[in-house]
Amino acid sequence: MPGMLDYDCVTKDYGSSWSPARVRALDSFTLSLERGEICGFLGPNGAGKTTAIHLALGFMRPSSGCGRLLGKPFGHAATRARVGFLPENVALYHLPADRLLRFYGALSGLRPQRLRLRCSEVLRQVGLEMEARRNVAGFSRGMQQRIGLAQALINDPDLLILDEPGSGLDPLARVVMRDLLLEANGAGKTIFLSSHLLSEIEMICHRVAILHKGRLIRVGRTDELLTSRDRYHIVARGVPANRFEQAQAHDGRVEFTVAAALQRDTLERIWALGGEVLSVNPVRRTLEEVFVELTGEGADR
Amino acid sequence: MKPLVLLAVNFLRQHRWPVLLLFAWIVFMALATADFGRSRPIPADIVFYAQQQAIYICIFSAFLAANAIHAERKSRRILLLLSRAVSRAQYVSAIVSATWTLAIGCAVVFALCAEWLAADAGLPSPGLWLLVMPVAAGALVAAAASMFFSTFCNPYLAIAFTLALFCTPAVWHLDRHAWSTWLPGFPLLLQFLKFRFAPDWAPNWIAIIAALLQSVVFWGLAVAAFERRDIAVPVE
Repeated sequence: MPGMLDYDCVTKDYGSSWSPARVRALDSFTLSLERGEICGFLGPNGAGKTTAIHLALGFMRPSSGCGRLLGKPFGHAATRARVGFLPENVALYHLPADRLLRFYGALSGLRPQRLRLRCSEVLRQVGLEMEARRNVAGFSRGMQQRIGLAQALINDPDLLILDEPGSGLDPLARVVMRDLLLEANGAGKTIFLSSHLLSEIEMICHRVAILHKGRLIRVGRTDELLTSRDRYHIVARGVPANRFEQAQAHDGRVEFTVAAALQRDTLERIWALGGEVLSVNPVRRTLEEVFVELTGEGADR
Repeated sequence: MKPLVLLAVNFLRQHRWPVLLLFAWIVFMALATADFGRSRPIPADIVFYAQQQAIYICIFSAFLAANAIHAERKSRRILLLLSRAVSRAQYVSAIVSATWTLAIGCAVVFALCAEWLAADAGLPSPGLWLLVMPVAAGALVAAAASMFFSTFCNPYLAIAFTLALFCTPAVWHLDRHAWSTWLPGFPLLLQFLKFRFAPDWAPNWIAIIAALLQSVVFWGLAVAAFERRDIAVPVE
């Protein structure tokens, strides 16, 4: 069964085939988005995230491989009526907010009556209902980003593709944006979210795909990705803290982490010392730690 | 059809100032030809005015169409447009249609001004309204050709190629051959240059039909070329 968005071994090269400056932006990229999920799309600058998104929307053609958007090949115009897209650095026509939304909605095939309804609905959702008659040229960066999101939502899409939606937003606006995405997801929309805001991704994404130098280096459920299999966090009581490396004691409990290979020996030592093991859990890392580990210096080695 | 109309109207709205400027220019030149009402206009000046404005309208169409894709790509507004249920063919068609609509509007303003001048000078003007036909055809083929070139060149080169395509035959005096009627733009250019306020003046209808057919060919080529372009790649 096809996913909402499928990349099948997609490669994209920039530059002519004979040019020495030819750059491979995406290399044998394979990914499938399931219906109803929020998939975070991460990678350092230049990793190929935006290229992958632009390929899906038919802005460019893959050098090799193929892909499907809502079951249709990339570039199928009519399918895009069911897609909402927010580009990085959104560029809008200088029109009043409500007229702008009506324009983009009409381009997605919405009928006038439904369009009027959706227009006031999404303006309210992004908190710009009071600015409906104001020209977007006078909007702040954050407001432009919000109206950008509103135009992505105007056609009530099945799939939302968002490229850096949080850029230019203040912390409060980010919370609003996050709530909006969760609300949209609750309404059954699939979201493909490219962002550098790792904490946001960690909070809302069901799955994360990490791209590095055009290659997909990790994809998996967020909680699995953040759970380390190498180290365990142990909580015990009734043992002296100084018997364990880097252990911290408080309220009569001793906490420390050990490598997976030493887990069994450590537990036996606790029992041998007459202590009690309260919990043993895999260490939970932050997405930032995982990201740096996978894409930072030395990751290539 | 609906996206095409929406895109065309949006294009017209965006270019309202240069268009108003051209309209004002046409009217201003008519007033200047009439010496701002101080004296009776000279027939030779009115003929020159008609020839000049006819050519300007075609060049204006070429400029407008040539810059359209480039400007939208540069501003990155094209991304939101083409992320909607809009095909590349619809996008190209919308720009060519909008440019043509503007050109027809300019041609009508020009014909009204020229008729006023002709009436003032006591010249017969029935041919004047027939001149609108080759102007409209010329504007369409110029827009379609420059749009085609602009899909793979920058706007300046696209304009240069369009002008070369239309004007180079004159250098070799190809008008001496019967088949020159089928060259793009050139026979219409000759009609503008040979226009006279004569009761029996009539446009070359074959050249107009040829220009309309050539417009369809250039439009098709523009669509085919634009379909293959990576539009997300930033332009200079």
